[in-house]
Amino acid sequence: MYPQPLRALIDELGRLPGIGPKSAQRMAFYLLRQPDEDARRLAGALVEMREQTSLCDVCCNVADRSGRCDTCSDTRRDTSVICVVEDPRDVVAVERSGAFRGTYHVLHGALSPLEGVGPDQLRIAELKSRLADGGVAEVIVCTNPNVEGDATAMYLSRELSGFGISMTRPASGLPVGGDLEFADDATLGRAFDGRRPLEG
Amino acid sequence: MGLASLDLVDFRSFPAAQFSPDPDGTTVLLAPNGTGKTSILEAIGYLGTARSFRGATRDVMIRNGADDAYVRATVRRADTDVLIESQLSRHGRSRIQVNRQPAKTRRDLADAVAVTTFAPEDVSVVRGGPALRRDVLDDALLLLEPTAGSLLEDAARVLRQRGALLRQLHGRLGASEATTLDVWDERLGALGDELAARREALAVALSPRIAELYRTLAGEDGGVTATYARSWAGALLAALAVARSDDVRRGVSTIGPHRDDVVLTVDGRDARTQASQGEQRSLALAIRIAVHVEATAARGEPPLLLLDDVFSELDLGRSARLLELLPRGQTLLTTAVPPPAGLAGADLVDVRELHRDP
Repeated sequence: MYPQPLRALIDELGRLPGIGPKSAQRMAFYLLRQPDEDARRLAGALVEMREQTSLCDVCCNVADRSGRCDTCSDTRRDTSVICVVEDPRDVVAVERSGAFRGTYHVLHGALSPLEGVGPDQLRIAELKSRLADGGVAEVIVCTNPNVEGDATAMYLSRELSGFGISMTRPASGLPVGGDLEFADDATLGRAFDGRRPLEG
Repeated sequence: MGLASLDLVDFRSFPAAQFSPDPDGTTVLLAPNGTGKTSILEAIGYLGTARSFRGATRDVMIRNGADDAYVRATVRRADTDVLIESQLSRHGRSRIQVNRQPAKTRRDLADAVAVTTFAPEDVSVVRGGPALRRDVLDDALLLLEPTAGSLLEDAARVLRQRGALLRQLHGRLGASEATTLDVWDERLGALGDELAARREALAVALSPRIAELYRTLAGEDGGVTATYARSWAGALLAALAVARSDDVRRGVSTIGPHRDDVVLTVDGRDARTQASQGEQRSLALAIRIAVHVEATAARGEPPLLLLDDVFSELDLGRSARLLELLPRGQTLLTTAVPPPAGLAGADLVDVRELHRDP
């Protein structure tokens, strides 16, 4: 129905997450109507992203060609504390909180046999070698609070126990500024399980 | 609480139908067989549970020749109306919305419209496999305990993950895989122990109620018991360690909450294999009504009660006793035989009159 080059673009766009055939078609026609340089800029950004990014040699977060991410390049960060997360986007989330001044380690996933993800598919070997190098006092396991994230946290606590390093998991509980009545059952349940004595 | 209106589009044999039952009373759907009485109950049940009590797939519930079916209902509460809308889709995703917000879990639906169903097929709860009996307990837990939803979901998810891992082992467990399996065992151990404990406590609470209801329905003291039977002894984590070589060899989780059963007995006999058909039917009905009564006590109001073709199974005396046992709430029932005298005050509706122009 469409000329081959346009059809190829629609097919490629349609493979992106969350993009169905209709959206892919709309995006392709939008790009077709844009000035030449806009399309070239997008193509250039795609190529540059592939060529100019790598994983950080230290924490496995996304980094530029230097092989060192911004956090690991920052000498003011506390390298004795490592926050382990599943995904680079989780680093951004923790950074936004401003509550953490240590460094990160990105696993790139969580244990999930259903999706064929075992320990070897995660960046656990890299984490072990960081701990073996010494200087780390605490590992905060910040994987998602779901079945796979909990299993990953438990796996790490077993695998890393030999290093004699303090391992912690962030508390789960109620959102600050949130209303009790809007908290979902599971969150509220966990918050009750993890309750603390009132001081005063 | 009660259903005030129901609209169907392309659901089963209905191109379009509209129905406004009395939200506080009893409505009898009266028509010859094959006119769609049960479909009306099925549509209401679908809104409360996201599935068909007849065990039908979505495709079967969508009218032949149509791509999508729509079920929309208004539920009247003391202070407000709740709008529930669902789209059953042959090709895309099926959706249910409560007050225009997507319902994410079955708990959301149970909160919007709690339903109890009894259908002739329910005799399979007594006669069929253990999964059907576990479902009865799990459905009841969802109605009775707010935190049961996430427990059931997590336990099912961990079982699927552990099963996937066992299949990938192809019968051989290396040192590295053993550590991963340890982790899933520990999660399954904790969740399985808790789920079994909750199901067991519920069975203990329901058992005397079921026995009492059975006595009334059957008109005889059957000495009925319902006992939760775990597929392991002691702590699940320790039992999983013992079962490990078996699990690895067979590539499945051989013990766990997914292998448990509820043992039902009548007069000391196993109801599944050694009770008469009449006893099995009375027992199945007693189980449903027991959950209904328990849910009424826990929620402060009776769930909407859907009784499909219940009188064809009971004689007049038992039908009358059944009607006396039910908590006062909205009841919708179908019958192809004349309804018993106890239903004198009920609204009678002929299903054939519910058809509307699409």
